[in-house]
Amino acid sequence: KEREKKLQIYVAARDACFTKRKDGVFDDEALQLTQQLLSSNPDFATLWNYRREILLHLETVRNQDEVQKIYEAELSFLESCLKVNPKSYGSWHHRGWVSARLPRPDWARELSLCDRCLSLDDRNFHCWDYRRMVVKMSGVPVKQELDFTDRLIGSNFSNYSSWHYRSTLLPLLHPQAPDTPSQCGNPPPSASPQTHFHRVCEEQLLKEYELVQNAFFTDPNDQSAWFYYRWLLGRAERDEMISCVYVSREEERVAVAFSRPVNAQSVGVEWQSVHPHFKNSPVWICSLPPGTISDVANEHNLTVHWTEKHSHRDCALYTGRSESWCRDTATDLELFRSELSVEKTSVLQSELQSVRQLQELEPLNKWCLLTIILLMRALDPLGYEKETLAHFQTLKDVDSMRSAYYSDLCSKFMIENTILKMEYAEVRVFSISDRKLTTLCHLDQLLLVTHINLSSNQLQQLPPQFAMLQCLEVRIGTLFFLLFFINLNSEISTLADLQPLASCPKLKRLDLRGNPITQTTNAEAELAGLLPSVTDLLL
Amino acid sequence: MAEEENQFEECEQIDFLKDRHVRFFQRTLQVLPERYASLETTRLTILFFALSGLDVLDALDVVDSDVLIEWIYSQQVLPTQDKSNLNRCGFRGSSHIGIPYSTKGPGVLHPYDSGHVAMTYTGLCSLLILGDDLSRVNKEAVLAGLKVLQLEDGSFYAVPEGSENDIRFIYCAASICYMLDDWSGMDIQKAIEYIRGSLSYDNAFGQGAGKECHGGWTYCAIASLCLMGRLEEALSQRELNRIRRWCIMRQQSGFQGRPNKPVDTCYSFWVGATLELLDAFQFTNFEKNRSFILSTQDRLVGGFAKWPDSHPDPLHAYLGLCGLSLIGEPDLRKVHPALNITQRAFQHLQQLQQTWRGNGGSCIGQQDDLQH
Repeated sequence: KEREKKLQIYVAARDACFTKRKDGVFDDEALQLTQQLLSSNPDFATLWNYRREILLHLETVRNQDEVQKIYEAELSFLESCLKVNPKSYGSWHHRGWVSARLPRPDWARELSLCDRCLSLDDRNFHCWDYRRMVVKMSGVPVKQELDFTDRLIGSNFSNYSSWHYRSTLLPLLHPQAPDTPSQCGNPPPSASPQTHFHRVCEEQLLKEYELVQNAFFTDPNDQSAWFYYRWLLGRAERDEMISCVYVSREEERVAVAFSRPVNAQSVGVEWQSVHPHFKNSPVWICSLPPGTISDVANEHNLTVHWTEKHSHRDCALYTGRSESWCRDTATDLELFRSELSVEKTSVLQSELQSVRQLQELEPLNKWCLLTIILLMRALDPLGYEKETLAHFQTLKDVDSMRSAYYSDLCSKFMIENTILKMEYAEVRVFSISDRKLTTLCHLDQLLLVTHINLSSNQLQQLPPQFAMLQCLEVRIGTLFFLLFFINLNSEISTLADLQPLASCPKLKRLDLRGNPITQTTNAEAELAGLLPSVTDLLL
Repeated sequence: MAEEENQFEECEQIDFLKDRHVRFFQRTLQVLPERYASLETTRLTILFFALSGLDVLDALDVVDSDVLIEWIYSQQVLPTQDKSNLNRCGFRGSSHIGIPYSTKGPGVLHPYDSGHVAMTYTGLCSLLILGDDLSRVNKEAVLAGLKVLQLEDGSFYAVPEGSENDIRFIYCAASICYMLDDWSGMDIQKAIEYIRGSLSYDNAFGQGAGKECHGGWTYCAIASLCLMGRLEEALSQRELNRIRRWCIMRQQSGFQGRPNKPVDTCYSFWVGATLELLDAFQFTNFEKNRSFILSTQDRLVGGFAKWPDSHPDPLHAYLGLCGLSLIGEPDLRKVHPALNITQRAFQHLQQLQQTWRGNGGSCIGQQDDLQH
């Protein structure tokens, strides 16, 4: 009954408010009414808007001292609202509005409110956001806020929000100098904390490493410090570019691999994505008009222009050659090492040493293991391969809930290593067997590959990106090097699993022995239908 | 997954009480307890939770579609005779302002009546779920009302009078444009810049630049980019990998919204759907996720709560169901991870869009990132 009564009062007050607002009444009674309602329901956005209108109106009819008092009273009112519900969007937003309009704002008081609020709940992002606004409006020095995070983190390392705040402050106070003169110019239009304009200078980085190490040595299980650490160790994105151009006289076409998926618009010549499925693809094909480059007696110089990035790539097709290519090596580009990398190897090595020390004390700590893996990859992916694999195994045992993810990550690293090794051996052969691969990736790096061996892994299907292997073939009659998917864990079982191979125009030989698909009736005929170019099919 | 059968056998004691949930949503549609009074202004979103929840449960037959469709249309803020209020159009949350009931135009001019971007979004979704053909939606007005809500920095207000502005409302805007198949309601490029600017140092998305990242905002960012068809343009492979990693690390049993926070049923959808859109949901542990969601199931009243032994509410009841649907719970309809309606409702939308475009040509452009 009491609740019914309350409800009636509420509804009456609400209707009274709306009538008043509709009539354009902005008086004290209106303030009273809205106050009553907002105390019990601070998410009633329209009422806050009405209240703002009343206050704006009062600004025009009262003198500055009175306005100051009115707004101060407003702040008190808001404090009581926030005590009841410290997470109301409406209340915080209104407080921000009031603080901005107060004739004589007391920013120290606002900061102190934030301090108190955060001491009750250091993850209240409304409060953090409000604090950021206060700091900006009142010009609190970045150093002071940095010291604030020092205090919070010092008293409790597990303060994720403080670490986050620190990540935004640090680059302001100690920005990293741009790497090259060309980068000094315009910042990228959509800069994020990962771009170098938000990174920290090296001297400060070293101090931060110390701070973070203290944190994760004290409490290795708290992820806050580990995430922050990873950010510190990270490096900016590499430039986007054309990574490979391949020309084939016989096919009369040009294949181009970009460093990221693009949506190529045909200008002059017609570009096609490798797979009709993909609007955005890292690999594109251009079929040249017949006869353009077919005469092997001629030399041709081709240039591919990426107008959006103002970059281009040249490729010369010499007399007597049936194909040609131009490619940056993954090693030179540090393509795979740039995941985690900082100026000096010595720094990375010392970090690796520290984390290894911790790992001896905490052998089952997953953050340790992950970080060690990443540091190893940054330092020497090939040299540390064996250890990396061992650590992945431990990781999967220790954090078994995510073992599928770790298998995937490990597969990716093994593929990266194989690509790196290829560059020392034969850039057209990709062989990675018995590595428990659960996934294929970086296929855009394999544009030139003619021979591929993926036997004895755990692949369940071929991704559509397989179409990026435009050169895949077998040289008939010469070496016995074969391209197969022998999957002893017997996963390839349906025709659909092999669909991506249909986009590899030169594939002539395929060995499917050991896969369940060979058991299906009519397998041979169906496969012949799917892959007409394959002349050599082993079932 | 072949292992699923064994896992379900083991979890048999935590059974899924479908009927209770149906009744929970039915009650939601009829009467809400007094403590929900504060949600009056957002009533349309509650309707959406109930309807979409029933849709996921394949139990929409318990609702009177026609009545509900009429009610939803009565919340449409329509243009007045002289179209002077075009910038204020859209759908409102409920009739709390006191506009007289009407489902047809022309609209009535009222200084404080306007659409609310989240209500427009859930209103359109609800109409689709109920099988409506959106023919009574004044698209021109809705899009005009949407356009004025976007700020210079690319984010959106919720209402034309102003409110907080952040990434949540970008998601609502993108969904509206996607459903109406008309992107003139927003500046996509600016929205993308705001989204990118919200990417935080630990590789997930905050509500805006400099803000702490969170599972809900990350969903809004990724889902928006997918709906716009710009996921791979806006984010590099490396960034996408890092985002996947952040999301995968959110699973503790169910999912948490931020590091070091307790798990909460709704994040099984927010983070789960994000991973689904990033093609990485298969790396999560379905069994633990399911166990947690079901531990928040209210066996008496139906619905789900954010935590075990808490009161269920429509939002968590709906998102709990969606979380279960993502992992393939039998008897639940599949959910479209970006639009947050069932695939059935989504197919209805696709058919409508084909009719709008004329001779069902292939759906080009924006839909390529959504291969689900």
